[in-house]
Amino acid sequence: MHRIRRLSVAFAVAGVAGVAAPALASATSLVTISGATSSYPLVALLAAKYTKLHPHKVRFKIAQGGTTVGLNDVKDGSVTIADVAQEPTSADAGLDFYPIAKYAICVVTNKSNTISNLTQAQVTAIFTGKDTSWSQIPGATASGPIEVFTRTSVAGVLTSFKSLLLEGKSVVKSATEEATEGQLRQALESAPSGIGFLSNYQADKGTLNPVEFNGVACNKDTAASGQYAGVSVFFEVTKGPATGGAAKFIDWVDKSGAAKKIIASQWVPIG
Amino acid sequence: MSAVATQAPSGRGRRSSPMTWRWSDRLVLVAAWSAGILLCLIAGAIVLYMGYRGVQYLRPALIFSRPQPSTSQAGSGGFLDPLLGTILLTVIGVLVALPLALASAVWVVEYGQGGRGRQTLARVVESTIEIVAGTPDIVIAIFGLAIFQLSLLAPFSFRAEGGGVFGRSFIAAGAMMSLLALPPLYAATRDGLQAVPGHMREAAFALGKTRITTIRRVLIPRVRSNIATGTTLGISRIIGSTAIVLILLGSTLRIETQGSLPVVNLLRGTGSSLTSYVYENSPAGEGAAPQKAYAAAFVLLIFVLALNVIVDRIGRAHASASGLTAVGAVV
Amino acid sequence: MALERLRKPWPDHRAERTLGAVSLLVGVAVLAMIGFVLAGAWPIFQHNGLRWLLGGGDFESEVARMNAAAVHPSAADYQLRAWPLIYGTLLTTAIAVVLGILIAVLASVFIVELAPVRVSKVVIPVVRLLASVPSVIYGLIGILVLVPFIGNHLITEHEKRSVQNVVQLTGAGLLPTAMVLTIMITPIMIALICEALSAVPSAWREGAVALGLNPLRAVRAVTLRAIRPAIVAAAVLATARALGEAVMIQMISGGKTFAPYPSSGWVFIFEPLRTLASGILDYREGVGSPPLKAAVYSFALLLLFSALALSVGGYMVKLPLRKYQTR
Repeated sequence: MHRIRRLSVAFAVAGVAGVAAPALASATSLVTISGATSSYPLVALLAAKYTKLHPHKVRFKIAQGGTTVGLNDVKDGSVTIADVAQEPTSADAGLDFYPIAKYAICVVTNKSNTISNLTQAQVTAIFTGKDTSWSQIPGATASGPIEVFTRTSVAGVLTSFKSLLLEGKSVVKSATEEATEGQLRQALESAPSGIGFLSNYQADKGTLNPVEFNGVACNKDTAASGQYAGVSVFFEVTKGPATGGAAKFIDWVDKSGAAKKIIASQWVPIG
Repeated sequence: MSAVATQAPSGRGRRSSPMTWRWSDRLVLVAAWSAGILLCLIAGAIVLYMGYRGVQYLRPALIFSRPQPSTSQAGSGGFLDPLLGTILLTVIGVLVALPLALASAVWVVEYGQGGRGRQTLARVVESTIEIVAGTPDIVIAIFGLAIFQLSLLAPFSFRAEGGGVFGRSFIAAGAMMSLLALPPLYAATRDGLQAVPGHMREAAFALGKTRITTIRRVLIPRVRSNIATGTTLGISRIIGSTAIVLILLGSTLRIETQGSLPVVNLLRGTGSSLTSYVYENSPAGEGAAPQKAYAAAFVLLIFVLALNVIVDRIGRAHASASGLTAVGAVV
Repeated sequence: MALERLRKPWPDHRAERTLGAVSLLVGVAVLAMIGFVLAGAWPIFQHNGLRWLLGGGDFESEVARMNAAAVHPSAADYQLRAWPLIYGTLLTTAIAVVLGILIAVLASVFIVELAPVRVSKVVIPVVRLLASVPSVIYGLIGILVLVPFIGNHLITEHEKRSVQNVVQLTGAGLLPTAMVLTIMITPIMIALICEALSAVPSAWREGAVALGLNPLRAVRAVTLRAIRPAIVAAAVLATARALGEAVMIQMISGGKTFAPYPSSGWVFIFEPLRTLASGILDYREGVGSPPLKAAVYSFALLLLFSALALSVGGYMVKLPLRKYQTR
């Protein structure tokens, strides 16, 4: 009788302490991020570095899903920050866009197809389905029908590609859609007559053939100098101004030298 | 005295020559042989290919190092976290499924026999478990998402800033995994209990024991091997499930805890499993690291093989475990 | 105290009620599952009636619209025509089950009746192992071995050109999906049918042989008929597994919502497709958008009802076969 009463009192005290402890303990805030697959490698590296330099301040949960999914999630409050790879539109009223890096969109072919340059007219003709065979493209070493690879509709890179390199037109309906940049890259690596578009980080891995656009090579240097036409921006987007842990993180990305070093390694720093 | 006893052509003894058969029978013979050889070839090819790739790519370092986010494959670490994730999910799934399955089997066999009402209820319980057995993994996963994204169940994962419940965590995935393990466990226990001869129960009653005590002290210990078989089958189903993990586990590379209570934060946390790791590293996912995918797949296969061997051993040790193949316990 | 009462041995009626309550929990879970999935899918029915089961719309642009309209969706954003997914599910399942039963019955006859004992002893454990291999591994072999082989060596340029204005042939599509799905569901059926074959009393077969039938005919006439309930059970189990297969199909079916009709000629086996289950996986991250979430739930609803119908159907087909009493 006594033993049981003592045990239950002990449990109750432990339970209350256990629940109260987190309230008294650290103020680690949780920052959830979702969105673009093209900026995921960059954001993952930045988050890892930030956690190493400022431990126990912020915890990150980074998901992907595509730019539109990220925007939807931040609009309905499911995540703190959205990774976005396209410019803000009128549908994004009420959201704050913080640019963190620039990236170049490269047209890429399979490694076996060593075509070196495509003009704007050629790119438009290929991706809108007007030109359907590699024999119509001078300089191409591939043969047969052109296989166009594109991204699903949620991709920010697709939106930026259409407005910057495709004269605002839409990609042909029969093109194969891939859900993430990684999948698009892998699809191109195994399709000898394939063509697609990737951010420069994916295109520069040495496994594909990045094509010059209107005579300008696609890499982070030509993007930085402004020569290359297809340069877009990675944004961190919050609903209203960023607060708390998210604000501290975005501020650190903007100002700290360590963050700039990470950005400059494969991408183009802002400003 | 004719001492010639002609052996009837049955089984593997002397049989009639196919040349004397009708052409349709000869066709079936050829078809059966072709099917058999095809089966052996494909089975052999799969096993040998996975074995070859596994040995080629599996390094002990991979099993014991944690995955890292990195821009190159060389730095991206191994699959310790997914391995631990698989183990954790299995533990949660079995812990939740065991009481449910045992209670249902015991109730149906011991209490569900007398009277019309009871028998209908017993039939209902059996049917619901059969329904669960036949439900696809992905529907169970969507159901899990529906429940765990309710505000009521926010403590089981976490609540994001704007009020949406995340709904994905180890406990969410583990609870749904228990639905996978439930039917084999139930069927195995039920078969075992039904196979116990009536005189054992009657002897216990004659000694004055109540039904529940008989169950606890006599019957359950006796069907231990059936429970073990059922659990092993259930574990086999759990570790092979990918859809539930992809939808309900939050897809973080490493195990990320949530909150600060010691064990609870792990249950509320997110992570990955061996199956989702194989998926993400294949061309269908991000990683473009088929070598790591092959290595993890090989480890997965070793687990499945080990579980199959265990089921075989238990089955052989207790020959009364009738009708329990690696898959047939559900039917 | 209550704790004392709990620790003493329970009276039978309390034990019975507790056990019964726990058993009915599973029933509650099933009802909850049906209820939640139905509730989640309701908006699609509300805005489309039953027309969402038909074709005629452009599925991919409907999904794009659902994604874009996440915050204040209007009625038009819920429009859905999901026939290509339903057709894809039916096509792959039908091919896999029909081929699978054929191969399973023949291979089981081979294992039990025709093969040398040493071969059977090796093959049966291997079949059981294959039956428990996770589907992601089948998908892995499919996407790393089968799809590149088909794409690079089986599809000709002429075939690619012939459908170029509609869809691109990349090797992933109906052919690898149907092949791997068949390979995936056949071991289960073989295991079940082998077991049933071994359980038939040999006296039945020997009686047929004594009457003059050759051994294989005896098997066909007597044993196979006797195990019809097991064949039905195997077929039902395999169909349920094929219907619900999501991960493997998502990996090797080409990820394009397209319905490959035989009317386009033989090239239709190379065309990509999408099934209900692989569609759920594909759009799982978009459930933050209410119309897309409702669409995903409606796919799950269709799968759930098919599984239920299969259970009931299998039970009803087996009823008249009960008299054989072998399994």
